[in-house]
Amino acid sequence: MIEVEHLSKTYGTTAAIEDVTFTVEPGEILGFLGPNGAGKTTTMRILAGYLPASEGTARVAGFEVHESPMAVRKRIGYLPETPPLYPEMTVEGFLHFVARIKGVSAGDRPQRVRSALERCNLQEKAHVLIRKLSKGFRQRVGIAQAIVHDPPVIILDEPTVGLDPRQIIDVRNLIKNLAGSHTVILSTHILPEVSMTCSRVAIINRGQIVATNTLSDFMAQLSEGSGYEVEVDGDIQALQPLLQLISGVRLVEEIGADRSTPLPEDRKRLRLLSEFGIDPGREIAQMIVGAGLGLYEMRRTRATLEDVFLNLTTEEKPVDRTDVNSETPSEAISEESIDTSDADRAPLLSEPIPSEPSAPESSKEEAA
Amino acid sequence: MRVIIANILAIYRKELHGYFVSPLSYAIAGGFWLIAGVLFLFGVQAALGAAANAAAQGQPVDVPYLVLQEFMGGVGLLSVLVILPVLSMGLYAEERKRGTLELLATSPLTNWAVAVGKLLGVLTFYISLILPLGIYEAIVFSAAVPSMPLSVPLLAHAGLILLAAAVLSLGMFVSSLTDSTVLAAFLTFVLVLVLWLMEGIVRLLPTAIGAPLAQLSLLRHFGTLVQGVVDTSGLVVFVSYIILGLFLTAQSIEALRFQRS
Repeated sequence: MIEVEHLSKTYGTTAAIEDVTFTVEPGEILGFLGPNGAGKTTTMRILAGYLPASEGTARVAGFEVHESPMAVRKRIGYLPETPPLYPEMTVEGFLHFVARIKGVSAGDRPQRVRSALERCNLQEKAHVLIRKLSKGFRQRVGIAQAIVHDPPVIILDEPTVGLDPRQIIDVRNLIKNLAGSHTVILSTHILPEVSMTCSRVAIINRGQIVATNTLSDFMAQLSEGSGYEVEVDGDIQALQPLLQLISGVRLVEEIGADRSTPLPEDRKRLRLLSEFGIDPGREIAQMIVGAGLGLYEMRRTRATLEDVFLNLTTEEKPVDRTDVNSETPSEAISEESIDTSDADRAPLLSEPIPSEPSAPESSKEEAA
Repeated sequence: MRVIIANILAIYRKELHGYFVSPLSYAIAGGFWLIAGVLFLFGVQAALGAAANAAAQGQPVDVPYLVLQEFMGGVGLLSVLVILPVLSMGLYAEERKRGTLELLATSPLTNWAVAVGKLLGVLTFYISLILPLGIYEAIVFSAAVPSMPLSVPLLAHAGLILLAAAVLSLGMFVSSLTDSTVLAAFLTFVLVLVLWLMEGIVRLLPTAIGAPLAQLSLLRHFGTLVQGVVDTSGLVVFVSYIILGLFLTAQSIEALRFQRS
């Protein structure tokens, strides 16, 4: 449904994206994941026909975006980074206007508008001026305008930005429901969003696709990170080589106490990494107990999407994972930590890093 | 073709709706009517003064005609220098600022359809501003003996509308160049002031350059129409300005995509 081949976009001498290639099958939801400034918005804009590509081709629903722009525009719904809203219109009036310019026939319009309002949970705001809506509602109106004409392809640039957690869940469910009948490509820098909504992921960093795969494949790919952590007492010097002999155990190493759980003096903590597809848990436990050592804790460790992401987008100097995880235990990596990790992996800076790609943010402020 | 007209209408209706709910347009209308009323009074007084002078010299004088000329000159100047730049300033600048241009540019609309729809919308709003002025004129001219032929004021108003369309079209282009409405208004003001004063400017130039440039003057062609003379060259100039403005707008929106965003 969407075929992107060797797409590049340069602004003057700086390349926003370079040789980006990926495809999206009909009915699929592709998550376009990357840190801020990685080239997500540029790619989205090219797909939507707003920006011309410097090189390469992008085909949407069988049409090349640059050669037959009108055919493509009829078939896409697009939510830009800044939701394009007319503050002086009511929600319903605005959706009618969008349906009209997208070429929905007069007879179909009321029904389409109603269904868009329903799908985005906007019924009670239908007659409210957009100017008076909160940011979360505006974002939902932005999504409603992207789906009001029932396009086969929907392009969403950061659809959950500015929403509260409850609304984020609603929007994610809405996007999930679009799959099947629509082909969706959504960009985000929030990792759980991808694991919750998307069937496939393309990870982009510094303008280049670093990986495209299904989620489960990503997990498998990072199976190096999965294994066990055990806390034992006694002579681990003798234990370590024995553990190494268990089939499926790739690596055994001693790890120190971490800050959150101090280790009693006679205990040691070991990390065992397993090979892909093998779960040597039973053998490990037997081996430790058989060796006469005390087993106080045995915990399975899995690679998370955060690990995958950081592994793919971080070069040379790795980011301290425990740091990132402890700061934001469940809800992804916060924007700041990604930002800083992107800016030469500097530790968290006290002053914000000027980020040129977020320029539309300021216009959003003014409009509000 | 039907699709294009439907698209133009969609933009037109959206623009008109915008004027009816915008406080700025009410402020413009209020200010315009207030000043236009004062100008009308001045026009009548000036015409009466001239008539008294002429009568003292025993010459016949066409008072309603003088009133019309004075008044149209004043309203034309007020429109060109203040009202029209303010009306055209937001046409595209506002869309750019709000990011809605991205919606229009990714919808199956041509740049031309958007520009034509916008121009028709703002022109309709301007026409609705000058319509009530017809009431004063109707009252004064109905008292004229011998009665004034209706074609004269009609032609003068048609000239005013053509002038407005030309200025709005150019202003729309200026507005498409920036996302600052204030800058758009100021640049449009400067541009139309130059075009308005073109006749004066060309006097400073050698005739070979000056004569063709003088044809660009808005004031000259507007003045001809207000005098009740249908002058084809004037019509051509106004229509050319309108088409030029639309063309440049469409091009500038297209070019915007190639710039660094």
